[in-house]
Amino acid sequence: MKKGLALFIVLALMISMFAGCSNNNNSAEASGSEQESVTTEQTTGEVQETQKVEVDTETLILSEAPELAEKVGTGELPAVEERMPKLEDIMIEPVFDSIGQYGGDLRFPWRGKKDKWTLEKMTEEALFRFKLDGSGVEPNVAKGYDVNEDATEYMIYLREGMKWSDGVAFTADDIVFYYNEMVLKETFGKSPYNCYYSVNPETGEKTLADVTKVDDYTVKVKFADSSVLFLERLAIDNKWMFAPKHYMEQLLPHIVGEAEAMKKAEEMGFSDIKTLGKYTGYYYWIVQDRPTLRPWLLKTDTEAAVARWERNPYYFKADAEGKQLPYINSIVCQKIESSDNIILESIAGNVDINVFELTDFTLLMENRDAGDFRVTQWSGTDWAGNAVVFNQGVEDVKLREVFTDIRFREAMSVAVDRVELAALVTDDLGSGQQASVPEGLVNFKEGWADKWSDYDVERANTLLDEMGMAKGSDGFRTYKDGSDFELNIFQIEIDSTSEMGEFEALIKKYYEAVGIKTNIKVVDSTYGEELIQSNGIVAQTFVPALFNVALRPDNIVPIRNYRSWYGSYGLYYSTHGEQGEKPEGDIALLQEYYNIIQSATDKEVVDEYSQKIIDLHEKNQWIIGYTSPKPRIVLVKNNLKNVPSKLIYCDEFRGYGHSKLQQYYFGN
Amino acid sequence: MGLLKTKKIDNDEKYFFASQWSLMFKKLKKHKLAQISIVILIILYTQMLFAQFVSPYGLESFDSKVVNAPPTKVHLFDDEGIHLPFVYAYEQKRDPETFRKFYVEDKSKRYPIKLFGKGETYKFLGLFESDRHLFIVDEPAKIFIFGSDKLGRDIFSRIALGSQISLTIPLAGVFISFILGITIGSISGYFGGMVDTVIQRIIEVIRSFPTLPLWMALSAAIPARIPVIQMFLFITIILSFISWTGLARTVRSKFMSLKTEDYILAAKVAGVSDFKIILTHMIPGFISYLVVNMTLSIPGMIIGETSMSFLGLGIRPPATSWGVLLQEAQQIQNIALYPWKLVPLLYVIITVLAFNFFGDGLRDAADPYK
Amino acid sequence: MVPLVFVTSMVVFAVIQLPPGDYVTTYIATLQAEGEAVDQKIIEDLREEYGLDQSLPVQYFKWMKNIVTKGDFGYSFSYNKPVNDVIGERMASTLLISGLTMIFTYVVAIPIGIYSALHQYSIGDYIATIIGFLGMATPNFLLAILLMFASFKWFGDPMMGLMSMEYIDAPMSIAKFLDICKHLIIPVIVIGTGGTCGLIRVMRGQMLDELDQQYVLTGRSKGLEEKKIRRKYIVRAALNPIASSIGWNLTKIFSGSTITAIVLNLPTQGPIMLGALRNQDMYLAGTWLLFMSVLTMVGTLISDIVLAWIDPRIRLMDSRM
Repeated sequence: MKKGLALFIVLALMISMFAGCSNNNNSAEASGSEQESVTTEQTTGEVQETQKVEVDTETLILSEAPELAEKVGTGELPAVEERMPKLEDIMIEPVFDSIGQYGGDLRFPWRGKKDKWTLEKMTEEALFRFKLDGSGVEPNVAKGYDVNEDATEYMIYLREGMKWSDGVAFTADDIVFYYNEMVLKETFGKSPYNCYYSVNPETGEKTLADVTKVDDYTVKVKFADSSVLFLERLAIDNKWMFAPKHYMEQLLPHIVGEAEAMKKAEEMGFSDIKTLGKYTGYYYWIVQDRPTLRPWLLKTDTEAAVARWERNPYYFKADAEGKQLPYINSIVCQKIESSDNIILESIAGNVDINVFELTDFTLLMENRDAGDFRVTQWSGTDWAGNAVVFNQGVEDVKLREVFTDIRFREAMSVAVDRVELAALVTDDLGSGQQASVPEGLVNFKEGWADKWSDYDVERANTLLDEMGMAKGSDGFRTYKDGSDFELNIFQIEIDSTSEMGEFEALIKKYYEAVGIKTNIKVVDSTYGEELIQSNGIVAQTFVPALFNVALRPDNIVPIRNYRSWYGSYGLYYSTHGEQGEKPEGDIALLQEYYNIIQSATDKEVVDEYSQKIIDLHEKNQWIIGYTSPKPRIVLVKNNLKNVPSKLIYCDEFRGYGHSKLQQYYFGN
Repeated sequence: MGLLKTKKIDNDEKYFFASQWSLMFKKLKKHKLAQISIVILIILYTQMLFAQFVSPYGLESFDSKVVNAPPTKVHLFDDEGIHLPFVYAYEQKRDPETFRKFYVEDKSKRYPIKLFGKGETYKFLGLFESDRHLFIVDEPAKIFIFGSDKLGRDIFSRIALGSQISLTIPLAGVFISFILGITIGSISGYFGGMVDTVIQRIIEVIRSFPTLPLWMALSAAIPARIPVIQMFLFITIILSFISWTGLARTVRSKFMSLKTEDYILAAKVAGVSDFKIILTHMIPGFISYLVVNMTLSIPGMIIGETSMSFLGLGIRPPATSWGVLLQEAQQIQNIALYPWKLVPLLYVIITVLAFNFFGDGLRDAADPYK
Repeated sequence: MVPLVFVTSMVVFAVIQLPPGDYVTTYIATLQAEGEAVDQKIIEDLREEYGLDQSLPVQYFKWMKNIVTKGDFGYSFSYNKPVNDVIGERMASTLLISGLTMIFTYVVAIPIGIYSALHQYSIGDYIATIIGFLGMATPNFLLAILLMFASFKWFGDPMMGLMSMEYIDAPMSIAKFLDICKHLIIPVIVIGTGGTCGLIRVMRGQMLDELDQQYVLTGRSKGLEEKKIRRKYIVRAALNPIASSIGWNLTKIFSGSTITAIVLNLPTQGPIMLGALRNQDMYLAGTWLLFMSVLTMVGTLISDIVLAWIDPRIRLMDSRM
């Protein structure tokens, strides 16, 4: 009896397990899609444009959200005309689809403080922001600017009547104060940003800019030498060039004294003055009650089970019909740690927008109806989906000789069957290619993606043989001098539930097939960081991304101790030769070209040398890519409108922020 | 006549003279559930030893043409009548909207299942090479009895090969904790007094040792050269040093209760050495509890291994263990779309159950009063 | 006991430092991942700021001093709040969930264990055994995920976390209470079944052992009521090993079953502490570990007391030997 029951239960379990496996019969009706490897549309750099707006703002009649109107009624808030800048200075935010309506809460899960930058980018209001296609910057908080012929003097115009979120006027004073009392005095734990320096083309000397107030709504930024790309670099390095003077002057130690500052720190729950400065001056958007210009303000603790960002009544933008933005009442962030949980909540329909990995595409598509959402794709600025780099500045001399040999890199590139690899790693949603600037971005070169991308084991073996790395008795290659050669590839995990190491396992297989003994070492992000800083990474799986060499080159030009592939050359540059190692050859050229860009007096020089840097990368292929850049899979709830279906999603453009959440709305 | 009588030892006398262990063995044979469990465990461990032979494919048999494939259907009949069991090759298709891959059988050709057929080469028990597998089919057909994973690897093969880690390491770990636990626990319980106090305090300090940082530290400190499996073995052994404390405490409490028994006092008076007393008189007194405890620990370690993999601290790919398989299976994507990846869970459950029923049987068998 | 606590705290402190790197390295890594540029000077400044450039003994001493003199357990680097706050905020929910599951475990397991033993090999025994085992054999986190997914498929909502979003800031009401109950079903099942099985088996095993003891036979032959024999003698003896393990369970309450909490997105201590250890958030991790070890010692003490109370042989021990 017992035996029978046990057997029965086990069988029942097994049967129920297999009963769910009859999925292969469902989609038999799918016609036409036979053996072609279908790739997801690589929306390379295409953007959806916003609707063109020609509005004479002076004729606008402003309106506001019902909750705010109520508060105006009870006297809690001044009328909308007084809260926003004067009519001619109001900024009209163009919409992607249609004029929206007020209401709703945007549900977006996050991990608390760890994801503070995600929310920062969603709500950011820079002085000048990047245009949709990244071809330059456009006024945002600022109304406009003028620049003199040799780009040494910039006049920045602000909006009259614009206010901070606590109702105090936003004026030139806030910009001048920020620069002189906070940036220059390093009160928030950062040295002055690169964008504030101009470089002397002859001596290479860097000098800081002079920022002065011309009148309440005009600021003058004066450089000693030309700074052609000042506004773009500002949009990358600092984004905002202002801070609420009336708030900050009450807690900066050099203004109120240390004792008072310490008192303020304790009041606000910070351990010391430095932390106070850092949070109120840099991470200010997560400090409650710190005035900002953003569309939504944090009203709860970041670690609360649900964090809420509420509408800013003094927000300075309106839509073309005069409705004060944002449409949406609040952003509601449920604290969820694991990405599996986020997916589950998303397919259950409890999330309004989120970006996912390529491999989640199928699961999302299958549950569109259940969760009532649509799936769209945004492109990124990655040079590849998966890539490997060999440390060009590795300390071991013998390894360095091998890595810096271009034949080695070519061999390791052609030793891999990209078609098979892409099929497995991207589930056939991507394809194989070389690491290169993606289509749609500046510096794109036709054909670069095919460099060394054939599967040619013979050639790989020939190259390695030529290098003198003969195969030993165990089938693995040795150094020229006969000693054992081993390649340690580091995989740095971002979080433990991410990537399962398939790419690395496959790479190992291909490398070993041509005789290169490979070990994959997985390290957590802390240890990984430590290794990068101490130049301990021999080789790494790493994907570079950048949209403009001149503005944010540190992924591909060694200017600081940031990426493992250029050893300690970056450290050498950032410490002006005090630490790190001096580079030679083409890598030294990279730094040299970057210097020229920094001190350029006109844009043509900038473009020329940017191209030269990219060309060096094409020539040397220091970064060996294997699969095509992965699009970002975006889930959007069906009732959420004005979300662009095509967007360039990258850090420089502030991720979600580029899609202008302030004009999202809930409709039907 | 007298000679014959003394020579004839009848069953009753056998019973009275039988050692403790043969008594247990006899009773164990009667316990049906334990019997089944023993059989199951023998099957699992044999499968583990001969894993490369039993599995049709290897750990690195990636194949993009059969990713996420459901279990292969085995057929006996087709239009032409009955045949020896065979399978069809798969044709991979893709839903144009969701890009979900699905498989259609290509009924044009039959691929009979071959026993002892030729497949990929492997090293049999690390000794000599062979390419024979228990069952296999010719390429391009595949025989995935539990389906394939997202790199096209056979899940059944991964389970069998993974059991080499998942079934041995817990044994090693538990064995070590067991020895340590009993030794120290009995010393502590038997001698009492100062010895006991000191040992108990040490146990407390060790007990509050944070295992998580220890794991993280160890996994970071170990160089890339050691195969992941060895690393895990090291770590497990080290951790078993910490888990013996629970056993030690219970042994001690049992000891403290038994210490006052008359027969112990008698042995002492008779001049039997302490060590012998512990070994032959006290330990057998509560061995049934220890047995239950030990068999309950093994499954605990099996589950521990899976939990550690979940946290990303244990065995990591490319090594394969049941914990790794479960970690892959638990992704929502797999639960929703490819539920056959949960089969390793069945293996874990069955193994755990088998150990528990076996322990149960042992416990009943060891019970001297039945 | 007090010197022991100090020794433990030193060991704990040292072990936390074992993984390479320190909080600053983690912090830098996070910054880089977020796209911030970090220059060398900042890194050194940060170390100084967090006091991480000083030697270990100095750091330890400072920490201890603050605890003893001000009851201040230090500052959490990752949360930028005093450690006291971080831990305090989650106490309530941790206690709730862990307390409930522990009660569930004991209240369910002990009677079932007793019943199983008394009606050995009956259907009831058999079913209890199977269910208990299945619960124990399935890794908790997998069970949790499977249940959540099942909940999604059948009810449209995975029941994550302690309550649905709309109730989180709302005041307590019947609806909120019901919602919390719904959300508690999965955690209690998952955590509960894990612990129940072991307890059932042990209880059963112990009961069976005791049932055949001499004194039971004696009691029966003397005419004692069966129920009385069970209650006063058998069960008390059988509870022996269970009593000695209650102490351990105390620590379980406060770590709130880490893995399950991560999976179910419960706001308990476990995940916080895992994160602290991962990020080398020294004081947060250190305080929690210290707390755990103190609890263990308290638990052991409680176990000893309970053991002595239950088993009179131990009480008499000293006088006999």
